[in-house]
Amino acid sequence: MSSRIPIVPESTEPLPGLGENTGLLSWVASIDHKQIGIMYLIGTLIYFVIGGLEALMIRTQLAKPGSELLSPEMYNQLFTMHGTTMIFFVVMPFLIGVGVYLVPLMIGARDMAFPRLNALSFWLFAFGGVLLYYSFFTQSGAPDVGWFAYAPLSEKPFSLNNGPTYWALGLLVSGIGSLISGLNNVVTILTMRTPGMTMRRLPLFVWMMLVTSFLLVFVIPIITSAFVMLLLDRLLGATFFTPAFGGSAILWQHFFWGFGHPEVYILVLPAFGIVSEVIPVFSRKPIYGYEFVAGSTVAIGLLSLGVWAHHMFAVGLGNVANAYFSLASMLIAIPTGIKVLNWVSTMWGGRINFAVPMLFATAFIIEFVVGGLSGVAIASVPIDWVVTDSYFIVAHFHYTIFGGSLFAIFAGVYYWFPKFTGRMMSETLGKWHFWLTVVGFNMTFFIQHFLGVMGMPRRTYTYHDMPYWGSMNLISTIGAFIIALSVLVFIWNIIVSLRKGEPAGDNPWKAWTLEWATTSPPPVYNFKLVPPVRGRRPLWDLAHPDSPDEPDAKIVTEGPNG
Amino acid sequence: MNISEFLTKAWSPEPGVIALAVLFLAVFIAAGGLRDRGRTALFGAGVALMVLAVVSPLGHLGRNYLLSAHMIQHILLLLVVPLFILFGMPKGAAERALSWRPAGAVMRALGNPVVAWTLGVGSMWLWHVPSIHGAAIASDRLYAAQQVSFVLVGIIFWWPVFAPVKARRLTHLRSTLYLASACLGCTILGILLTFAGAGMYAAYLNPQDAAGILPYLRNDLCITPGVDQQIAGLTMWVPGCLIYLTASMITLAQWYGSPEADVEAAAQGGGILSGRGKTV
Repeated sequence: MSSRIPIVPESTEPLPGLGENTGLLSWVASIDHKQIGIMYLIGTLIYFVIGGLEALMIRTQLAKPGSELLSPEMYNQLFTMHGTTMIFFVVMPFLIGVGVYLVPLMIGARDMAFPRLNALSFWLFAFGGVLLYYSFFTQSGAPDVGWFAYAPLSEKPFSLNNGPTYWALGLLVSGIGSLISGLNNVVTILTMRTPGMTMRRLPLFVWMMLVTSFLLVFVIPIITSAFVMLLLDRLLGATFFTPAFGGSAILWQHFFWGFGHPEVYILVLPAFGIVSEVIPVFSRKPIYGYEFVAGSTVAIGLLSLGVWAHHMFAVGLGNVANAYFSLASMLIAIPTGIKVLNWVSTMWGGRINFAVPMLFATAFIIEFVVGGLSGVAIASVPIDWVVTDSYFIVAHFHYTIFGGSLFAIFAGVYYWFPKFTGRMMSETLGKWHFWLTVVGFNMTFFIQHFLGVMGMPRRTYTYHDMPYWGSMNLISTIGAFIIALSVLVFIWNIIVSLRKGEPAGDNPWKAWTLEWATTSPPPVYNFKLVPPVRGRRPLWDLAHPDSPDEPDAKIVTEGPNG
Repeated sequence: MNISEFLTKAWSPEPGVIALAVLFLAVFIAAGGLRDRGRTALFGAGVALMVLAVVSPLGHLGRNYLLSAHMIQHILLLLVVPLFILFGMPKGAAERALSWRPAGAVMRALGNPVVAWTLGVGSMWLWHVPSIHGAAIASDRLYAAQQVSFVLVGIIFWWPVFAPVKARRLTHLRSTLYLASACLGCTILGILLTFAGAGMYAAYLNPQDAAGILPYLRNDLCITPGVDQQIAGLTMWVPGCLIYLTASMITLAQWYGSPEADVEAAAQGGGILSGRGKTV
């Protein structure tokens, strides 16, 4: 049997990477997918801290009614930069980065299909963020028009400063990086799989990255062209989005949400992927309904392209358009519900080990269902009319992006940290981090549902002393500081574990996907030998030759067919 | 005329579609389709739906009053009716017919995915060019050609995915891609119609109110020409696209249901014949 184990072909040109030297240049000049992945993670951690500090300033300002701590102008800059940072420079690049690190390992490849493009994507992301943040040091200050920069507010007559220009340029640059990495992922997943790794045996994380990458390729061009139009308007006096000269402000909203709604799924599908990897391993069961998890992802991807106008119910598209978009939006609850059912059924009857990754994955399911349910509520037009632009919406999308994506990201960090670094993260600190995050997160955002229904508008720098508003906002602010504390614990955990963490070994969680078959951290060439793949859990098949997942499968040694 | 009178009286016997229905039924019976009850029900339902979509007041509304009614008729004829007819086709007879060389060659040419896709999505775009649509509802012959071509092109469009003979079908994942891209094609047209200004189709702006139901449509149902065009665009976009989407989910499910190549090879090597479909 051993003679039939496929061997990764030798590359003619050695790839530079970890082994060569450990100086700064080996990182800056690296085209190794693991180093680039780690740089993505470090970059997003830095932006996460910055975006978090902005959130803390917002919450401090809102702690009591009539606060004068921040000027209205500063407040506008902070919420704009907080939203833009967290979406474009934290969650999205984290998921892309973790994908860059893991996808080649999970499919038994040596690197991405286009290693140099991979490096280009990273540097476009990093410098796009620098360009955006440079605006803080200019006379005009940071962008202050909200993360969706509605025209005509973002147009010249209403925003004479350069903030929106920096915003469009920074996102244009980093967006091109995301588009490139989407293409890179699609090609890598379709062409670089090891023999036997057919499309139906792909780890679910890779499946989700594939769908996400297709979405990136389809929707980033929409926003990129919109950015170009906005820049033409602002810099060269074009009038795409200025109604006074025959342009259309609504057009901007269509472009923005035509990108922006699929973007929400770009933020959450890889998170679904992480959770779909973590839950089976810590329940000691294969995923329940693999086909449904993968198929429903494709359905979500396709549906997400046609529902953007539910962000525009209050614009006045007409009752008919609103009704259709409301219906289509509610349909997304079906494939999403299928996934939740699959995760819960995977846990059902399993030998669950509540290590920190599993804690975060479990909390993810609960928080995401809360966010999903409020999402179904506001897909209904009359409810949306009542709560749109209020704190209810703020609560809703924080439950999906923080409670959803970010919780899954934490699960993924604790799960794969041993693979990235060769050391385990501290379980004790991890549990502190988890419980502080759960308490802080719910304290901050759950109460905002009520504030929203009571009429508190988002994006206003202060509020009058209405009954209960002060105390409810104070609770929310205290929650935000608890989250801040939890982030400190998290960073402390990373630092301590990097130095003194227990050595992890190749496969500390006894997981089944290929990335655990190599050393931790993996060598530059990833695998000496890629284990044979003849099922969805290659390492299970290897450890239990007498009861493989697909008993009929034979070992394939020639090119992937799938 | 009030609305119940309209529903009872506004039936228009369109010769084109009725002739097509008679032809379909005759071929079906001659091919011995009646032996299989399930298929007879499907085929019969398809033909009945086809006739109803054109002959019933829906057809009258679509031709004289509302673009949105036309669009419902259009979705039925192009996307729904052909599915019933394809699934209702007697398999043995279809195999025999296709083994006759000229018929096989014609269907191979028309069922080529590029040709079928272009015809299916292209007919949607072509017939909705405002001047062509205007001409079609003004002329009896062109109108009949439009309706008949919807059904025939619809059958050709679905052929690569659901042809009665399995060997003529695309592999599962290719079908998924075929359908998803068609969905995109019809979505773009739907978006165009939905967000374009009212009055793209001049005939529906001020219809000649021969049946006397215009006040009911305009005042009671509040369907202004703008709203009408929006409903039409959205009907093409959302329900139209959902049909493609559901079908592509079915092809994905079929793909998961078929065995892996190495499993199949091993099973055959071990002497256990697996008769199920090919893998991708």
